[in-house]
Amino acid sequence: MRARLRLGWQWAGGIAVLGAAMTACQERLTSPAECPELCPGGSAQVFDTTVIALQDRDSSFTGYVDRGAGPALLVSNGFTASDDRAVYRFAPRGDSITVRDTLRAYTVDSAVIGLTLVARDTNVNGLKVYLYRLPPTVDSTVSFDVVDPLLADPALIDSIAVPDSVNGGALQTVLRGADVDRLGLPVGGDSVLAIGLRIAAEAPTGVRVGSIAGGTAATFTTYVTVDVPDTGLVRNQSLNRASVFNTFVTRDPPQPSDSLLTVGGEPSSRAIIRFELSDAFLDSATIVRATLELVPTQPIVSLPTDPAILETRAVLGDIGAKSPLTTQPALVQQDTLPALQTDTVRVELTRVVQAWQASRVAPQSVFMLLRPEAASFTRAVFGSTRSPAVGAPRLRITYQRAFPFETP
Amino acid sequence: MRRALLVLALAAAPVAVSAQSSQFGVRGLGMPGRPIGARAFGSGGAFAMFDPQSGLTPAALGGLAALTAGFAALQDFRHVENPGGSQSLRETRFPHLSVAGPIGSRPGVVGVSFSNYTSRDFTLASADTIPLRGVPVPVTDTFASRGGLSDLRAAGAYRFKDVWIVGGAFHVITGSARLSSRRSFGDAAYQAARQRSELSYTGVGVSLGVVRNFGKALSVAATVRSDGHVNVDRDSARVGRIDLPYTFGLGVRWRARPGLELASQAVMKTWSAANSDFLAQGGTGADNTVEVAFGGEYTPDPQRPGRRPIRFGARYGTLPFLLVPGEQPHELGVSIGTGIRFAKDRAGIDLGLEHVWRSAGEFSERAFLFNVGVTVRP
Repeated sequence: MRARLRLGWQWAGGIAVLGAAMTACQERLTSPAECPELCPGGSAQVFDTTVIALQDRDSSFTGYVDRGAGPALLVSNGFTASDDRAVYRFAPRGDSITVRDTLRAYTVDSAVIGLTLVARDTNVNGLKVYLYRLPPTVDSTVSFDVVDPLLADPALIDSIAVPDSVNGGALQTVLRGADVDRLGLPVGGDSVLAIGLRIAAEAPTGVRVGSIAGGTAATFTTYVTVDVPDTGLVRNQSLNRASVFNTFVTRDPPQPSDSLLTVGGEPSSRAIIRFELSDAFLDSATIVRATLELVPTQPIVSLPTDPAILETRAVLGDIGAKSPLTTQPALVQQDTLPALQTDTVRVELTRVVQAWQASRVAPQSVFMLLRPEAASFTRAVFGSTRSPAVGAPRLRITYQRAFPFETP
Repeated sequence: MRRALLVLALAAAPVAVSAQSSQFGVRGLGMPGRPIGARAFGSGGAFAMFDPQSGLTPAALGGLAALTAGFAALQDFRHVENPGGSQSLRETRFPHLSVAGPIGSRPGVVGVSFSNYTSRDFTLASADTIPLRGVPVPVTDTFASRGGLSDLRAAGAYRFKDVWIVGGAFHVITGSARLSSRRSFGDAAYQAARQRSELSYTGVGVSLGVVRNFGKALSVAATVRSDGHVNVDRDSARVGRIDLPYTFGLGVRWRARPGLELASQAVMKTWSAANSDFLAQGGTGADNTVEVAFGGEYTPDPQRPGRRPIRFGARYGTLPFLLVPGEQPHELGVSIGTGIRFAKDRAGIDLGLEHVWRSAGEFSERAFLFNVGVTVRP
């Protein structure tokens, strides 16, 4: 019995030693290298090359998002990027409401016009938003030259002083008593309120206000009293009217040029840029960095503290303006533009070019757009292959050749 | 039937076979392996020419009296120093596996073994700063290899009246090395680049051995081996061939008194045959190697030789693949070991510990190698 116990202990000891030797020690294999002695094959060599976009195959397309159809409207006062005024038109407000199955006239006690401040330059103080009455017929055909003269004192409804601490959110003005008359809605018949906005501040600046597309358009609410004869009954009701139309107008809006690449603006423009990397290059190179370089024709100005996003997407099938674009996050590059971009714009496209390596069927094209579309002060205009004086789009690729593994 | 199943199970065990790695195995075919069992390991390899569980000479199989299976595990604790820096490393390997047994009642023994021929397991890291787009960018390079060459041996030995033992073996030398190079950049705008390649090797060799027993006290063994060449394929395309060395070995074993055996051996390999092949392929060349070992085994109880013997030994050798042209690496090792047999000598565990110093110019390393061998006689 004792001998068997001892034998068991010996087995256990042996297995324990074996197990400890084989499993207790985690492998650690990495040691410092000294070249060339410990660098079989040598070191990886890195190269740099620049590929120009295909001649005359880079284009801009305009009309993706119309003026006023974006998620915000622009209002500014002599801002460098553009000078803009916003316009809202509300749903018609009738002159009577139904009480006890009878249309009855009402008297207006007060009215509230609500706005949404989407973004502002938080560095500029003293912001004040002015609301003016516009003709109810205002529509998408209006221009800056038509609207701006109408935004004058005789048509002033009210102004809203925006505290310097407020960077965004709801703004409103309340009109009571005789001030309601500034709305200029005629008595009798359906009446339509349209308003225009301009701003003032301590320095030229701009703001973005809500829109119908963004779900944040201006609202118009009227608080009324209905007198029901012979009953002594008085009803207080509110009439809410949403915006049914909105737009903004710009002084001297720039027109896209065929010889340049425009991204942004209203209606929004997008640009497609095509390349043709050789199979020989794609077969043999390990791409470590690919950068799309675009030369702006003029400084790109954005609203400070409210930057625009330059988005670059790989093209799935190149059919021009309506090319389907990738939704893979890895193949979508978003770059924030600074308040003032004067230098070459560089967009990292390493993943995209690596995808071109992986599939030769994929078009070697990228689409560029500016977000938010048709709702930003930013407009980027770049040189194209048709404007050699400015500089064509180019792809700068840093790559490694196949590592010269030593044989054996 | 149970014995056969156990032998088959051991033979089919999915073990990775390689010897300890070293920075001196970065060039050429790698760090040469030592096809020795755990028992010979403890005596510096001095008894390998007479150890049936070692793969140095097929004639040693003649010492087996019963079907025996054994394998060894090796733990390597290494400290590496070179002009690039120093680092402590560790690694676990399985350098030798063997199964052999007598042919019925005849004085013949056959067996197979699987051992490491060369090892190419290493990872090397270096840092530098290179100009990219006109800006200096820090880079970190990592070059790694996993794999090596293995030696699959089918061997037989025959005893002539316990005086002469002759043996022969056929070797299949095969293996692969999976290489990868990775460069990462200090600037996040650059993506790390990784490239891979796989080298595969095939070759065959033959070996002959003889052991002469002069009574019970003295034995002499000799062996010769030719490995021909290996064909080298890179990513499935033939890129060349490399001549492999001839091996010449001579060993002597002497029983000084009951319970004490001493042994010595010398092994020479003509690796310079591969020198021109390496140089032609851009390598740094190879040189012949010599290894000399001396060791002993003291058995406290001669009636029970398997009960905790004390083994000791030392060896000195040169290494074939040069890091610096004209400067051949060399190594010195001292070892001790012991073992135990149990279950009526049907199973045993052998332990060995070796301290090794290797150097060549500014490159040096020292290592503790811990070897555990398991022997089973079904």
